[in-house]
Amino acid sequence: MKILLVDDEEKFVNMLAKRMALRGIEADVAYTGEEAIKKSESTIYEVAVLDIKMPGISGLQLKKKLSPLHANLKFIFVTGHGAVEKSEDPGAEKDIYLSKPLDIEFLIETLEDLTQAG
Amino acid sequence: MLKIVPDFLKAIRPEFHNHKKNAHNDAYYTFTDYRDLWFMGIFILAVTALSPLFMATLTYHQLIETSVDSDLNHRTKQLTETAKSAVTFFMEERLNALTFTVNENGYDQLTDNIRLTEILKNLKLGFGGVTDLSVLDADGNQVAYAGPFNLEGKNYKNQPWFEQSIKKMNFISEVFTGYRGVPHIIVAVRSAKPDGSFFILRATLDTERLMKTLSSYKTGNYADIFLVNREGILQTPSMHYGAIFTPTNLIFPTNSDETEVSTLTFKGMSIISGHSFISRDMVTTPFILMVLKEKAGMLQFWMDMRSKFNWIIGASIIIIVIVITFAATFMVNRLYRADKAKAETMMQMEQSQQLASIGQLAAGVAHEINNPLAVINQTAGYMKDLFSFKDQTQNTDELIEYIDSILDAVDRCGIITRQLLGFVRQFDVKIKKINLEKLISQVLSFHKKEAEYRRINVTVAIPDIFPELETDSSKLQQILVNLVNNAFQAVEEGNSIDIIARPLDTNTIELVIHDTGCGIPEENLKKIHEPFFSTKKDRSGTGLGLSITYGLVKKLGYRISVQSTEGVGTSFTIILPVKIKKGRIA
Repeated sequence: MKILLVDDEEKFVNMLAKRMALRGIEADVAYTGEEAIKKSESTIYEVAVLDIKMPGISGLQLKKKLSPLHANLKFIFVTGHGAVEKSEDPGAEKDIYLSKPLDIEFLIETLEDLTQAG
Repeated sequence: MLKIVPDFLKAIRPEFHNHKKNAHNDAYYTFTDYRDLWFMGIFILAVTALSPLFMATLTYHQLIETSVDSDLNHRTKQLTETAKSAVTFFMEERLNALTFTVNENGYDQLTDNIRLTEILKNLKLGFGGVTDLSVLDADGNQVAYAGPFNLEGKNYKNQPWFEQSIKKMNFISEVFTGYRGVPHIIVAVRSAKPDGSFFILRATLDTERLMKTLSSYKTGNYADIFLVNREGILQTPSMHYGAIFTPTNLIFPTNSDETEVSTLTFKGMSIISGHSFISRDMVTTPFILMVLKEKAGMLQFWMDMRSKFNWIIGASIIIIVIVITFAATFMVNRLYRADKAKAETMMQMEQSQQLASIGQLAAGVAHEINNPLAVINQTAGYMKDLFSFKDQTQNTDELIEYIDSILDAVDRCGIITRQLLGFVRQFDVKIKKINLEKLISQVLSFHKKEAEYRRINVTVAIPDIFPELETDSSKLQQILVNLVNNAFQAVEEGNSIDIIARPLDTNTIELVIHDTGCGIPEENLKKIHEPFFSTKKDRSGTGLGLSITYGLVKKLGYRISVQSTEGVGTSFTIILPVKIKKGRIA
């Protein structure tokens, strides 16, 4: 399983990627939306884990840009806010929202559920 | 016992009379001076209610006066005419009787004293009031006499009445005393003797009968009927002018047969007088009939009615004023209570809005803290992984690097919590010296990340030399939070928010919070400071933010104004004193 982690919090996303690797999940890292789009062009990811609040392109905006390019790509949103303003796009209810600080075991479980279901 | 009065006054004293001005919540009262409002209310109501009443009363009095006047004149004229007819008839009757006597009897029979006495007796029976009869020859010698006074042989040639009698067919004299010392009137008729010369039959009338006739026309206590001669000398007694032969000023120049009515003043009394000459072609008398009516007396009925009416009007006015006062008191009190309740609600709202603004901040703060927490969580988790997954090398340098990154994240959390504490602490502090730049950056710190995410350019421009403010920092902070929050809600990605402060003079500074956001439609500009006005009703807005901000600004003795163009941006300008005035502590 190959996933893409996008968050402007560099240390957080780096650590997360390293820990995923330890657990046998290949995770690429992007610090901005633009970088994420670039990476998605060369690699096929099953799931994108996006921070909602990012300078420039926000997580929700990024999803809008990525989903037309990659039909099978699934999304998990991560946010520091307790409550999240959900995207009003069709199919948004399928999106999964997780709040920070993030439990890695729970994230992996969610990822597995998502990929198996699809 | 004496305490009852103030206690009673206190009990009926309306609530608003005890309203004390209080900088704390005055800003939220719609009206400031309830007593003024009360007086104004009573005044306007009283003028509105009473002026028609006054007008009606005045008109009524004028109408009554005019109609009573004309009525009185009319009645006086009528009475004068009636009395005149009676007096004229009285004279004519006696004159005719004498004429008849002269024609019927002739000179020879009349000079017979026995026959003359007989005639006098018959005249007395028929008409009454005839005292004596006498026959005079052309030289004024009395040739025959019948009556109680022994005046036989007297010569009247030089008497004025005799001189006048011989000139005319008949003659009626003024009232005079003559030889007898009793007021009487002479009626004389001239007739021809068979030899061509003439003789005169003279009768003396006592005035008693005439006075009785006159007084029978007197109606009420205020009417006076009497006769005067052309020189204004009383011919009968008058209630007003006194006894007979008293001279008066009642002299009328024209010899008209018409009855005339006029108003004259007698001893300060207003009197309606009617007069008429008793004079016809056939009979000429020297009399003028006078009818006097005291206006006040005749008006008594109207006066009584008027005073009753005035009492009723007076009582009505008192009742109206009492009702108006009660109504005004009631209304103003209601208004006051509603206003007071509103002001109190606004005070509570101000506090809860303060809490709400903290809540709003809390969400931002949580996000700010959650990010470093997530870093700590993942870094610590990874370090644990290093120990859990046996095949991992444990490089000391790498571990130290991770620990440092955890410490960094903890520092970040620390900064945020310190900011929050510093911010919250402001809520308790009253008046103190503050650095505006610091306060602004404190408020903005909570929006820092938001500005980054939404690419909003936030600038603060404060000159290097800027006075230290002495004010209620919690209120100023709340004002800033509200206005900055508003600005952040108004702007979109790429817009900017500028906060500019500059001293206007040594005592005042100007603070402008400008955004290039959506702007406020012109029709809303006037309403934005009204409580519960919100354009985000369907969303989170309570409509209190700006109304409370305006209230706070007012409380601090600041002035706030807003300029906005839809689609261009909005500027809130606050003029604030460097030093807050004492007594503005709330």
